[in-house]
Amino acid sequence: MKKVREVVRAAVLVACVAVFAGPASAQSFPVETRTLKNGMKVLVQTDHSIPNISLYIFYRIGSRNERPGTTGISHFFEHMMFNGAKKYGPGELDKVMEANGGSNNAYTTRDVTVYQDWFPRSALELIFDIEADRIRDLSFDPEKIKSERGVVASERRTSVDANNFGVLDEQLWATAFLAHPYQWPVLGWMSDIEHWTMDDLKHHFEMGYSPSNATMVVAGDVSADEIFKLCEKYIEPIPSHAPPPPVTTVEPEPLGERRILVHKYAQLPIVMIGYHVPQTNNADFYALNLLRTALYHGESSRMYRRLVDQDQIALDVSAFVEPAFDPTLEVIVAQPKQNVDSQKVEKAMYEEIDLVKNAFISDQELEKAKNVRLVEFYTQMQAINGRANTIGTYEVFFGDYRKLFDAAKNYAAVTKEDVQHVARKYFGENNRTVATLIPQAEEPKTEEAKPQEKAKP
Amino acid sequence: MSLLLPFKRSIRRAILSTAAVLCILFASLSAPATTLRLPRHEKVVLKNGLTVLLLEKRGVPMISVVALVKAGAAADAVGLEGLASVTAGLLRKGTRNRTAQQFAADLDFTGGSFSADASADSTIVTAQFLSKDVARGLDLFSDALLRPIFPQEEVDKLLKQNLDGIKAAKDEAQSVLTTYFAGYLYGAHPYGRPEGGDEISLTRIRRDDVQKFYAAHYTPGNTILSVAGDFSAAEMRKNVEETFGRWAGSPAPAEKVAALAPLKGKRLLLIDKPDATQTFFAIGNVGTAGGDPDRVAIRVVNTIFGGRFTSLLNEELRVKSGLTYGAFSFFESRKAPGPFLIFSYTENSTTTQAIDMALQVLAELHKNGVTKEQLDSAKSYIKGQFPPTIETSMQMARLITTIEFFGLDDSEVNDLESRVDAVTPEMARHAIEKHYPLDNLIFVLIGKAAAIRPAVQKYASQMDQRAIADPGFWPPPANAVKPK
Repeated sequence: MKKVREVVRAAVLVACVAVFAGPASAQSFPVETRTLKNGMKVLVQTDHSIPNISLYIFYRIGSRNERPGTTGISHFFEHMMFNGAKKYGPGELDKVMEANGGSNNAYTTRDVTVYQDWFPRSALELIFDIEADRIRDLSFDPEKIKSERGVVASERRTSVDANNFGVLDEQLWATAFLAHPYQWPVLGWMSDIEHWTMDDLKHHFEMGYSPSNATMVVAGDVSADEIFKLCEKYIEPIPSHAPPPPVTTVEPEPLGERRILVHKYAQLPIVMIGYHVPQTNNADFYALNLLRTALYHGESSRMYRRLVDQDQIALDVSAFVEPAFDPTLEVIVAQPKQNVDSQKVEKAMYEEIDLVKNAFISDQELEKAKNVRLVEFYTQMQAINGRANTIGTYEVFFGDYRKLFDAAKNYAAVTKEDVQHVARKYFGENNRTVATLIPQAEEPKTEEAKPQEKAKP
Repeated sequence: MSLLLPFKRSIRRAILSTAAVLCILFASLSAPATTLRLPRHEKVVLKNGLTVLLLEKRGVPMISVVALVKAGAAADAVGLEGLASVTAGLLRKGTRNRTAQQFAADLDFTGGSFSADASADSTIVTAQFLSKDVARGLDLFSDALLRPIFPQEEVDKLLKQNLDGIKAAKDEAQSVLTTYFAGYLYGAHPYGRPEGGDEISLTRIRRDDVQKFYAAHYTPGNTILSVAGDFSAAEMRKNVEETFGRWAGSPAPAEKVAALAPLKGKRLLLIDKPDATQTFFAIGNVGTAGGDPDRVAIRVVNTIFGGRFTSLLNEELRVKSGLTYGAFSFFESRKAPGPFLIFSYTENSTTTQAIDMALQVLAELHKNGVTKEQLDSAKSYIKGQFPPTIETSMQMARLITTIEFFGLDDSEVNDLESRVDAVTPEMARHAIEKHYPLDNLIFVLIGKAAAIRPAVQKYASQMDQRAIADPGFWPPPANAVKPK
């Protein structure tokens, strides 16, 4: 579904959206902050354009804090945060919130778990009551755990089994990382989803859900004073405890290219290439983003022109990086057209990457990349939910939301030499993992046929 | 590509917004009238017949442009399905002033965006750019809309591209479910046509067909143009008159899509996807037209039935039983009655359990109606969730365009709070009885036939089956050849 894909891209681009207007047109989005006595930091961005508020809570816990046997528990836990606490029992949270005009969602990544509330001003105090209840007194109803396992299994069947990109992405990360916990999927392996225990869940709550491990961002029709008063009443009394133990595993330097083949029922192949790149707060962030824009953004990008327009060997090509605390992957995805050898597509991509290593990108391309970042910034900041998410992402992944307002300066400082430098530094053969989906011929269609085992490499 | 989607607790928002592309009137109409009104905007009809809507919205230095051409997939000729979509896709692929590559370079340099998509009733072209780039932005937009030349080479490329796009879509069951559903429900009716075409029709379309479609439908009298964002309305009006005032062309006679009455009986289409671990299903019938006088009551009832997380459907299929990640229902808003459908998915082995449950929830809606408490909750929800849907200039440009297209007025927004509040239990009861099917249902399932076929036969007296890789959707294209 196209619309869904757009949404996906918008979400993924959050951390990349970072240019700020030049001095002439600089806009300021004043943000007021306070750190509560229990250690939770609160950021407020007041905007009275609509009578609504977006409230996001970022917990610094994700699948990187898991271990084999309980993979996916961060994500499962995210679901459990909606399934009942002391005051608002199972099913109550959603019922009360919606009856008061609010809605919610949440997402889990390898690094963070983020809870989102969208509501009219009139529901403000209720939202604080709900959030405090579940941070302080989450309950673990065995019946809810059972049914929620089914929900997550269905989620996995939808986003992995029924989505060839999902299958390949999972295999790519599992191959690219030998040691670091980024190797397992955020959703978790199916056998872990089926087997984690009540004790595992309780342990996870104790580990990740200390107020000191969280950042709250509020954007919309509310003053900082109102928010700070509500925090004093509802959030500040909740005691803090130790944060999750640090993730100390460092992925060893790759010693050569890694490749994996996936055989699956499909009409079209897929090629995914993951290059190891540094964590979000690394100084190369800006040059890497501009390089990615020059290579992949729009129909004028080098990769689109080459693969889709000129050679006509691919349906689409794109590249993504998610915000990350630890060194991560920039993932390039191309879908070869039917009957096109995926190695041909791969080769063409390497040729384009070599070009940006061997010669500078043009001034025009560099300026285009900076303009694209600027528009993305305004696109994110034009609505209160995007604003809450962007401010929070900067605060959490760069350690300071003000980096958002330095981004223009940081992008402006990037030169063609810098772009070439990161191209050479990160996009080498030894630094990549290549996952290829090989379409499998049709499986038996008749009722009598036995389900067949898929060919495994 | 959902591969990098941070795993969410629920994808309902994304799903609903997909369903709501043409459905703004149902998906979002409600506003606290005291605090939120549609900003003042002006309407001008230029001498050439072009309807222009201008809405000033300061604050963010961006401008959004939307053009709605009143012809979409329903205007495609039989056998040339996808023509409206291909025409839209080719607008930027070569104009009198720019090659496709120059257009891309000029557009991308501004950082702006451009899109052109055909749906059943219309084609919508949009662009967004920084207000400082207004001259170039309007030039690019008008170039695509007014001056495309459809170079043969680009026509060939796009057709091949779209052909592979259909195969890629069929690799992901949920992305083609509504296409099969529309075909099975509407059959030969114009709303049954696959909006993007199919593997057969895309090999038939010629450049000449595209030119004719463009000449017949892309005319000023057949188009609504909306601009919203950071500009002075007076200046923008001048700009728009200069840019679009000389656009000429007479519209083809308006093609009114005939209303199709809801189908009688029960029919089931099973699309075999041999690798499926989960069955994706849609159940429904013909719904109602976008401007239906009952639309606000329907909106309230559907919020309760299948339009939010705590809806009756999601409560039963997900929250209580854990059978699925999500269950929804929606009415697609179109000029003539569009589809109503219930949508969910579940593991192969629980397929009938989930479908039985969805049918049970539907039966109970008819039997019990909705309670006062449910009504109040849904009203608050609709009112509380509305403001963020008209927060940005693009959202506003799209909304005023849609209101104009449906022949409605600003009261759709400005009076919505009072209209929602005015929905009584009797109105809800009426909406259920009149607009929700009960005994007459179309089922479309995409799943592993070998695993589910025997069990799902019980739902309908008539059952059809195709393989997902077979060319086309439904009905099978006349000369569709089964792949070996």
